[in-house]
Amino acid sequence: MTQRLVNILLVEDDEVDVMNVKRAFSKNNIKNPLYVAGNGVEALEMLDDKIIPLPKIIILDINMPKMNGIEFLKVLRENERLKNISVFVMTTSNEDSDKIKAYNLNVAGYILKPLSFEKFVVSVSTLNNFWQLCEM
Amino acid sequence: MRNSNILLVDSCKADFENVKKAFNEIDVKFTLHVAQNDTEAWLMLQGDNKISPIPKIVLIDINEESVNGINLLNKIRIHPDLKSILVFVITRTDNERNKAAALNLNIAGYMHKPDDSKKMTDFFSILNDYWNIIEFSSEKK
Repeated sequence: MTQRLVNILLVEDDEVDVMNVKRAFSKNNIKNPLYVAGNGVEALEMLDDKIIPLPKIIILDINMPKMNGIEFLKVLRENERLKNISVFVMTTSNEDSDKIKAYNLNVAGYILKPLSFEKFVVSVSTLNNFWQLCEM
Repeated sequence: MRNSNILLVDSCKADFENVKKAFNEIDVKFTLHVAQNDTEAWLMLQGDNKISPIPKIVLIDINEESVNGINLLNKIRIHPDLKSILVFVITRTDNERNKAAALNLNIAGYMHKPDDSKKMTDFFSILNDYWNIIEFSSEKK
């Protein structure tokens, strides 16, 4: 479905992973504006203070300093202005407890970061194809 | 994947036949169950016709009047055993009020229902690829 490009916020503390997401976006010709926050606290500041335009999609890491992904999600879901944002977890955590907590907070998907960059590019392509189907 | 059930809630027989056909053509690993309205769906999620294990994915056409999809979505979201279900809205009718209500109830996606059988297969092929890259918890009920 052709639609305007929605803003995406990536909440990720690892600089290499941030770079990989940017490279995977570029490889897949994904032109959506991408904003980056280094942890949950920084993301909430950016969203609360309206430093960035309201994103329709958040890509969220789980293990981060200051405020991890699950803590961030809890705050997000209690905020009237922010609670309906689609959140996609992208993490190396294969812990069942993290998956259960994330789905209980209604993430749209929980994706394990593949070990190779090539596989990561494929996962991001699949994700983008799904986003194209959705009305945000 | 240990949990392999999907519940489709749709009152249009032609549509759910097309969905079944698409699932067969693209070899979806999930077992498809169909309910024609919210009451029937609830019995399959929590009542006498309970599907086991509980589906991790529910597809609802919220804009078909007889389905009463927003009511079903509300009930899913407040039930402790069901609230984590991934709900995808697939609909042919525009209804901004229902769309906003569904997004506020944190559906995983709001999508337009394809018009014909061929497009339905392409549509579910993309959706199935997405289902294949996401992880589900291994928790069983």
